[in-house]
Amino acid sequence: MTSAKKTMTLNLTDIEMSVLEDLCIKKDLSKTAVLRQALRLYQLVEVRVEKGDKLFFEDDKTKEKAEVMML
Amino acid sequence: MTPDVTPIALLNVANNMPEDAELWDGITEKQITDWETKWKPDLKRAQLSRNVTAQLDQSQHWDWRKKSQALEGMLALRGFSIVCNDITQGLMLVDTTSKRALIESQRGKDLVYIDYIENAPWNRSVLYNPPLYSGVGSILMRAAIALSEEEGFKGRIGLHSLPQADKFYIKSCGMTCLGQDPRYHNLRYFEMTPEQAQEFINKGS
Repeated sequence: MTSAKKTMTLNLTDIEMSVLEDLCIKKDLSKTAVLRQALRLYQLVEVRVEKGDKLFFEDDKTKEKAEVMML
Repeated sequence: MTPDVTPIALLNVANNMPEDAELWDGITEKQITDWETKWKPDLKRAQLSRNVTAQLDQSQHWDWRKKSQALEGMLALRGFSIVCNDITQGLMLVDTTSKRALIESQRGKDLVYIDYIENAPWNRSVLYNPPLYSGVGSILMRAAIALSEEEGFKGRIGLHSLPQADKFYIKSCGMTCLGQDPRYHNLRYFEMTPEQAQEFINKGS
């Protein structure tokens, strides 16, 4: 089930690396896994926005919706 | 892209013997053609002859052609299928990105969410007695767990169950039911923790 993988070097600033490391701890994932998930989510959002969909965050309690402007 | 093929075995229920089969890491035109030309007519025939109501076959409205088209090029979605005797026996579509674990001990962590999982009509005991093959559901569940481990999700999986399958997820898979989900047709939502995934794999059924 494993597809062939390619390697790349990623240059990040200190703050970017710090955010990545925090996400790794929070999500219990490796850096590669976090970045892979980020790429998938980015693609998903792009495809939906291209189709004309809007991206919202909804407060679970108040049901208030906030649109994320994707230009 | 050519899917990876893993040799597996399904149990032929009539003679209680294993038969060689394949787990495909993908859903191709072959599977969709089987669904259109074999599954759908068979389902109709079986429903008519056994007088099975739609209530007992809750996945009949699923359109696998549309679902497989949604898969194309999307990194977040993966398809799986099982082939035996050159005929598709089971299909599954999973999402590796959009859902997070809800069970308290795993809350917020990534999981493999099983969007759709379906057995060929002739393998369903509600339609056929005896069904042709058993083991399709368990093998697809194991594939979802393997993908979850490969992604670093430690075997965590989640799904909304059709009522006809609730028992399978509780008894056979040992998943935890988190209750009915009002945001998803009131279907019961199930999750499998890394420990439950390990237990299911160790059980080997």
